Amino acid sequence: MLFSVSVLIFVVLRLLPGDPVSIAIGAGHRGVGAEELDQYRTESGLNSSYSVQYWLWLTKIFRGDFGVSYFSQEKVLTMIGGHLMPTVELTLTALIAAVIFAFALAIIGATWPRSFADRIVTAIASLGMAIPTFITAIILLLTFGIWFPILPTRGYISFSENPIENMRLIAMPTMTLAFAAMAPILRMLRSSLGEASTSPWTRTAEGKGLLWPKIVRKHIFPNALIPTLTVVGITFGRMLGGVVLIEFIFAWPGIGTLMVDAIFKRDYMILQATILFAALATIIVNFLVDIAYGVVDPRLSFKNK
Amino acid sequence: MKITKKESNTLFRRVLRKPLGRISFGIITLLFISAVFANFLAPMDPNELDTVNIFAKPSFHHLFGADDLGRDVLSRVMYGGRISLIIAFFASLIAMSVGVLWGFLAAQIGGWIDDVMMRIVDALLSIPIILLALILVAALGTNVAVLAIIIGTILAPATARLARSAVIGELQLDYSHAATVVGASRLRILFSEVLPNTAPVLMARAVICASDTIIIEASLSFVGLGINPPSASWGSLTRTGYEQLFNGYWLVLAPAVIILLAIWSFNTLSDQILEALDPRSGS
Amino acid sequence: MMPLLNVKNLAIDIEQPRGESLHAVRDISFIVNKGEKLGLVGESGSGKSLTALAIMRLLHSPYQISGSIALDDTELYSLSAKEMARVRAGQLGIIYQDPTSSLNPVFTVGEQIIEAIQLSEKVSHAEARTRAIDLLTEVGVKDAKTRANNYPHQFSGGMRQRVMIAMAISTNPKLLIADEPTTALDVTTQARVMELLSRIVEQRGLAVILITHDLGVASQFCDRLSVMYGGKIVETGSIKDVISAPLHPYTKALINSVCTVDLDVTKPMIAIGGQPPVLSNLPSGCTFHPRCPMANTTSCITTMPELVTIGASRTAACDLIDTKSGSKGFSHV
Repeated sequence: MLFSVSVLIFVVLRLLPGDPVSIAIGAGHRGVGAEELDQYRTESGLNSSYSVQYWLWLTKIFRGDFGVSYFSQEKVLTMIGGHLMPTVELTLTALIAAVIFAFALAIIGATWPRSFADRIVTAIASLGMAIPTFITAIILLLTFGIWFPILPTRGYISFSENPIENMRLIAMPTMTLAFAAMAPILRMLRSSLGEASTSPWTRTAEGKGLLWPKIVRKHIFPNALIPTLTVVGITFGRMLGGVVLIEFIFAWPGIGTLMVDAIFKRDYMILQATILFAALATIIVNFLVDIAYGVVDPRLSFKNK
Repeated sequence: MKITKKESNTLFRRVLRKPLGRISFGIITLLFISAVFANFLAPMDPNELDTVNIFAKPSFHHLFGADDLGRDVLSRVMYGGRISLIIAFFASLIAMSVGVLWGFLAAQIGGWIDDVMMRIVDALLSIPIILLALILVAALGTNVAVLAIIIGTILAPATARLARSAVIGELQLDYSHAATVVGASRLRILFSEVLPNTAPVLMARAVICASDTIIIEASLSFVGLGINPPSASWGSLTRTGYEQLFNGYWLVLAPAVIILLAIWSFNTLSDQILEALDPRSGS
Repeated sequence: MMPLLNVKNLAIDIEQPRGESLHAVRDISFIVNKGEKLGLVGESGSGKSLTALAIMRLLHSPYQISGSIALDDTELYSLSAKEMARVRAGQLGIIYQDPTSSLNPVFTVGEQIIEAIQLSEKVSHAEARTRAIDLLTEVGVKDAKTRANNYPHQFSGGMRQRVMIAMAISTNPKLLIADEPTTALDVTTQARVMELLSRIVEQRGLAVILITHDLGVASQFCDRLSVMYGGKIVETGSIKDVISAPLHPYTKALINSVCTVDLDVTKPMIAIGGQPPVLSNLPSGCTFHPRCPMANTTSCITTMPELVTIGASRTAACDLIDTKSGSKGFSHV
């Protein structure tokens, strides 16, 4: 899977018009002759055929060498490393918040099915799934940035430097990302809880003397968790896309900002590496979800029955 | 067992019978009309400068206010609808044609070709949509035609998946077997029997494609990688509005609200189509 | 002596979104004494399972229940939800028909039994666990200590039913309701499970309501029998009396249709003609009259026969019964 993705990325990027070499050298503001351009090209391997380039890239990766940004001549890996932390902070915080809220709301909805609260829960889920992230961002910016200005609207400071300011700055980006991420999880969990509520063993639980709210939390929830985990994995993958926009809107110096810059500058090496990482992260998360499946559903972990 | 013309009319009518169906269809029609006939319906020329009224708040004169050059926001939004809806239309067209063809062929041919085709679809689906869009735009540029093609291409894989599973479902039903027995060729079965029966589901998907296109185009324009000024789409209007956020919040509010309205209408219409498919007793 | 369970004029209606409610159970009354085993016998759709669930107060909308159900003189339907939950935990026990879907798949059987125990009394987890293991051994689960950590899907059908039995009796209930406990099992397992049930019930002196459509099973286990048809009780009596000398035509037909080992193979099996009554279209008068070999054209079609006491604890609901013992004619109660 990773392999096919890498091929895909490589092919697509090579379609990018705009000669990176000219841009790179042009950035140095030096007058260059055709020979120098050509020499640079040969060194960077851009003169060889595409397949050779791909092979070179792939093998270098296995040695941990992601190449050097055409533009800034820094090692790509270093650049990514420098921008990794903010993105990880944002994504993890948003994912955790999304999961917590999704779980809480779904359980509330399932405990009082078809009630007013339940209808609100469903509406929230639909809303979250339909609103584009940048519009949520705009709404939050308007509310907390302009009308009731209590939160800063852009920027970043690391947690170690200034924890309070860090939390204030991360608030809106997290809310934006979390709202979008929470919606599909909430919907899946609520519907799984609803389905499992009709299972005969809920009647057994009630017959034993349990009350419905407890039954939802203790008995139905673990059963409904199983299909929900898949959605969590998928949602994480989509978050990696959404985070790009959000970083741009809130001036959050993470991988997303790095990517958008790289696109404007036609910086292949960075782009290749970042997308590869994104795909890798998604695959890892889905792998973890598969493992979690085995833990939560006892029917799956017993191969010999 | 074809779906006759009468049956597809009934589906349409069933959708319109429900209040949500009427509302969503109504809003979409309204948006289309205001875009197509913008030159008749817009209160002002969208490019007309009115320097006296820079950043005017919403008033009777400028229903949605005026922007940094005094242009009427409402008129700009109406004209902007042209570009957004054109892109939505063509992107959906592309996504549906390519996707349906891909999915139908994969389902019909089967075997390892089917596997490979779906493997490609899966690889494409594993890349977050926004990232894919950003890169393609960076590669190919940002005018209306190119955007439509790019977005259409991005939405095609999911359509392919849907089309394929719809076809496989139909091919297992009795009428497909019956058609084969009678001697119909595979292609004929596919296009004259299966297609009409999968049409409603595909239509629902087409409507979602329109909605998704609006989202993607708006997101791209917002970042500056979509439609750029001076042309206006709902997305680019949101961007310019966002840039002027502290000068006048209404500049961003108007296009954002319209985008939301459009997305909601398309999503709801699609839901209504799917609901109307369900054989409901007493509906 | 006061009966343990006193059901009076129980009626269960099913609300329909359009139109009238369906009358699934219509005005039935019966009692269960302490330590007594009552059998509730009838076809599918006769309302027997619904009766059981109504006693446990496990029927929620669209079911509407009216009448009185008193356990040890406490009116169950006047209790709050919490109080009823406590009654279920401590005084009632129920075994369901399908053990597979009635056990939560993500908890071990041990945990499920422990939960039941801890709901009925305050004991430590360790203590509850010991009791659970003992119970599992008692119901015939070998190697109970290890098996308690297994999940339901790791047990066979018969074993799962034993687990359910263990769970139901773990709280020392006064009344055990067994809703078709053996229907989903094969015949040999059936016999074993009923044997186990008999033994346990004897040892503990539990009162039991056994719900079944199988007369054979009922006759071996129960002390008394009530026959249900179309949502009404048509006959009651001691097991011996009812089986050997059935009064109601339906009971007679049921007994005649039982397949025994010494049945004459040359003759066709006797079945009850016709179809069970459809709730939305109940017959007028006596519900059984369309299928009754003795039905006449007057009273049977127009009037619903009352349950009439015919002998000591012997009742039947048929206007055509010729009272054999006791006074001639009917003594209406």
